[in-house]
Amino acid sequence: MTVSNWKMDYIGFVLPALIFTAWYLVTLEGGVPAYLIPSPSNLVRVAVDFATGHANLTPYAGTLLVHTLASVQRVAMGFGLAVAVGLPLGFLTGRMSLAKNSLDPTVHLIRIIPGIGWLPIAIVWFGVGENTTLFLISLAAFFPIYVNAAQGASSVPPLLIRAGRMLGANKLMIFTTVIIPASMPSTLAGLRLGLGISWAYLVLGELTGVTCGLGAVMMDARMLGHVEMILVSMIFIGLFGRISDMILVGSFKRLDLLREENKE
Amino acid sequence: MKLMQRTNLSADGINKSFSRPGEHDPLKVLEDIHFEIREGEFVSILGPSGCGKSTFLNILAGFEPADSGHAACCGEHIRDPSPERAVVFQSPVLFPWLNVKDNILYGLKLRKDVRNEAEEIASEYIRAVGLDGFWDYYPSQLSGGMQQRTALARALVLRPKVLLMDEPFAALDAQTRYSMQQLLLGLWENYRHTIVFITHDVEEALLLSDRICIMSKRPGRMIEEIAVPFERPRPLSLTGTQEFSMLKGHILGRLMD
Ligand SMILES: Nc1ncnc2c1ncn2[C@@H]1O[C@H](COP(=O)(O)OP(=O)(O)OP(=O)(O)O)[C@@H](O)[C@H]1O
Ligand SMILES: [Mg+2]
Repeated sequence: MTVSNWKMDYIGFVLPALIFTAWYLVTLEGGVPAYLIPSPSNLVRVAVDFATGHANLTPYAGTLLVHTLASVQRVAMGFGLAVAVGLPLGFLTGRMSLAKNSLDPTVHLIRIIPGIGWLPIAIVWFGVGENTTLFLISLAAFFPIYVNAAQGASSVPPLLIRAGRMLGANKLMIFTTVIIPASMPSTLAGLRLGLGISWAYLVLGELTGVTCGLGAVMMDARMLGHVEMILVSMIFIGLFGRISDMILVGSFKRLDLLREENKE
Repeated sequence: MKLMQRTNLSADGINKSFSRPGEHDPLKVLEDIHFEIREGEFVSILGPSGCGKSTFLNILAGFEPADSGHAACCGEHIRDPSPERAVVFQSPVLFPWLNVKDNILYGLKLRKDVRNEAEEIASEYIRAVGLDGFWDYYPSQLSGGMQQRTALARALVLRPKVLLMDEPFAALDAQTRYSMQQLLLGLWENYRHTIVFITHDVEEALLLSDRICIMSKRPGRMIEEIAVPFERPRPLSLTGTQEFSMLKGHILGRLMD
């Protein structure tokens, strides 16, 4: 078992290695010019400089922390708002036909409009920048959170609820001790989707005109012709997105809310 | 015998129908059911598949209302589920996110009166059902028999006035079923629970119960009641005796009617 797992782990590295090699080859002398694709070594140097500021290679040297904090804060606030609204409404919709009938049709109607289609009207309402970004993130992250929480809550096995009731749980206790834990796998799936989307809409919002944040750096770097900074920002956004996902999943495991998924 | 004590659970003239998809007239499942069990009694309900046994048990448990008729536990009309009438289902229906101990503690934690001794009571029953050393296992890590033991302990810790069991061992293999039957009998002799036991296994009913109620095909009615004449303890060898086979034959005949 461990042997084949090892093999599987290695297989995951093959494709990145190939891409990396190809990348390295095309950036060799006489290949694709550096203003289109910078070489890997240059990229690494710029990335390290972005973080530490030791070589002042770009105007962005040493500013990684500031931009990251700005971006992370926006994601946290936008995603937090989506969770605060989406989870309760989702659970309600999943369990109460009144909530479902009154809420669900409207939500799904709005859901058809792509999140990006809200950008112009958001700028009209909230102006360019901070609040538009938060609005876009919360709006886009809301739907997967809501839909998956509702789906999870509505598909709790009725027998589990009966078991809880005959053991003495009232309606409220059934909700907190049966329905919520039983719908955790689906709810977490929704939260992960929502968090991923939060990062996507963060970039969209930041591209449209904030001064601080990884998306802003990308846009700024494009205008100043620092193509390597665009790529470095992309890599950092991917990295932080991945880390935030790991933190989310990790904290759920910590709380031991994922027993069903952890089945071995 | 000190069996003939107060009536613990009773049902009078219970009727129940279900609407069926695509048809006008409802499906009549229970018809004028009368049933009664006294404190400390072990009564089995036997009936052909689909005759309404589970439906009847669900009404006793308070999961579903009867269309008409009256069901009462210790004189109180049955409206809702209650830990006084604990249920063991055919499948264990444990909470998969709780370990054995927390599954068993679930009902105790909801009660104010026993909160302080909850842990003690739980470990007593974990031992009683033979799950010593497994208290921190999750349901998915247990065998079917062990899961059903947990479900049994989870119901028994609440000291229910009556234990309702719906074919609790039907999904187990023959050996596990036998050991579960012995376990249940041991616990029953020890704690003297009142038990309503649904099964379609005639031998099981004969080996376990004081009394057997036979239901007809759907719509289910109570068609016969048999006081099981065998002394306890009832060894497995009892099944080979002539008296046993004759009674078994008689019951099987009634089930085919
Ligand atoms: N909620 C329901 N809605 C509609 N019909 C139902 C419902 N519950 C049970 N029935 C019907 O009632 C009849 C009796 O079902 P029930 O589960 O009580 O039978 P049973 O005697 O327990 O059978 P088995 O021995 O197979 O468990 C069946 O025909 C079933 O289809
Ligand atoms: Mg049944």
